[in-house]
Amino acid sequence: MSNIIGLINYGIAGNIHSIKKAIEKAGGIVKIINHATEFESVGKIVIPGVGSFKDAMSELEKDGLITPLKEAIKSKPTLGICLGMQILATLGFEYGKTEGLDVIKAEVKPMLVDAKVPHMGFNTIDVIAPNKVLEGLENEEFYFMHSYEVVNYTNIASLSDYAGHKFVSSVHFNNIYGVQFHPEKSRQAGIKLFQNFIAL
Amino acid sequence: MNTRIIAKLDVKPPYVVKPVHFEGLRKIGTPLELAQKYYDQGADEVIYIDIVASLYQREILFDEIEKAANALFIPFGVGGGVQTIEDFSKLFHVGADKVILNTYAVQKNPDIINKAAEIFGNQAVVVNIEAKKWDTWWECYTDCGRIRSGKDVLAWVKEVEQRGAGEIILQSVDHDGRQRGFDKELAKKVVESVQIPVVVTSGAGSLENIKELIEYAKPSGVAIASLLHYNKYTINDIKEYLRSVGIKVSK
Repeated sequence: MSNIIGLINYGIAGNIHSIKKAIEKAGGIVKIINHATEFESVGKIVIPGVGSFKDAMSELEKDGLITPLKEAIKSKPTLGICLGMQILATLGFEYGKTEGLDVIKAEVKPMLVDAKVPHMGFNTIDVIAPNKVLEGLENEEFYFMHSYEVVNYTNIASLSDYAGHKFVSSVHFNNIYGVQFHPEKSRQAGIKLFQNFIAL
Repeated sequence: MNTRIIAKLDVKPPYVVKPVHFEGLRKIGTPLELAQKYYDQGADEVIYIDIVASLYQREILFDEIEKAANALFIPFGVGGGVQTIEDFSKLFHVGADKVILNTYAVQKNPDIINKAAEIFGNQAVVVNIEAKKWDTWWECYTDCGRIRSGKDVLAWVKEVEQRGAGEIILQSVDHDGRQRGFDKELAKKVVESVQIPVVVTSGAGSLENIKELIEYAKPSGVAIASLLHYNKYTINDIKEYLRSVGIKVSK
């Protein structure tokens, strides 16, 4: 299988620059995917995400990427980052109710916490179920920047704590990985996470 | 939660400068050199503000921003002269993670906050406040502390939160660059007025100033310029000190 990592580019909200740069720093080769026809040439998928759940799904739909993306995710190792992890879920509740890619059985809801939201800054992760992408990163800190969280999910890889509130900070299910934090913004620990993903 | 320690670059392209009282600029270095330096020192984020773009009414200089962004694997907030959704788009494209608004939102069109938040998400839209203290209130200034707006800071911060901003950067026109301590009352009032994170800047002259601010106002982050620019302390020195007095910061 091709060793190239396909980075999904959807709409004006996609902030792919920093993710591309971090994957390259980790030694990976990146191909930006704009069209359905481009999935074939890549061996792995990274779904970035900046923006709202609703906007992300409507941009993917507009670009005709939903069906080919769901197809690719079935076999290719996939990493969803922040909103890119959230849209893997069944339903999102940001700016109304929106259907997600439904790859993982979960819903995305506002963080209910007695503290400032968005949750922003470096935080630790508590690994519940170890996996290859998180290998060697158990004691590291990662950068979080989000107002919504994934709930009702059973394949939790790690939890994090924000002001006493435990939330899902990463998931893992077969070939699919999702992280709520931003590895591309998490110094050397984030680069290491991409190296782990590249080595899969 | 860890208090974020952030390096702030005030840029008058092609140099990072340090205004005293928002006046009397001193050249410090290039944005790229300093972004790299503060990243290596352990900064949690870097903020880049083109302090003359609005005043001179000129285009944002994207090349300078991209160069600095390329050195960073931590969040990079960029502002100065932002007026359109296209500006947001271009800034994200060259590597900004958050875009910082001030003059245009305060003086002309606050709706840009709503529009940007809906497209890019609240977390990516930051409002910068330049507060000037009067007898009984603080007024929002713009254009690097030169132009009045008539807007009350405490009312404005609530409004920007309502409109969808995800974070506030709070500067004090009176304290900026003087290294004599923060306007702690202002900081506390703003932090308590909103649910979104507040990053406080303007005034760090000593490690104790930073500690006192964090203990008194409980901001989500502190942005520091002069102390770092003049090599009085590194980010790591600041974090080590804060840890030693019981304040939580990241590694």
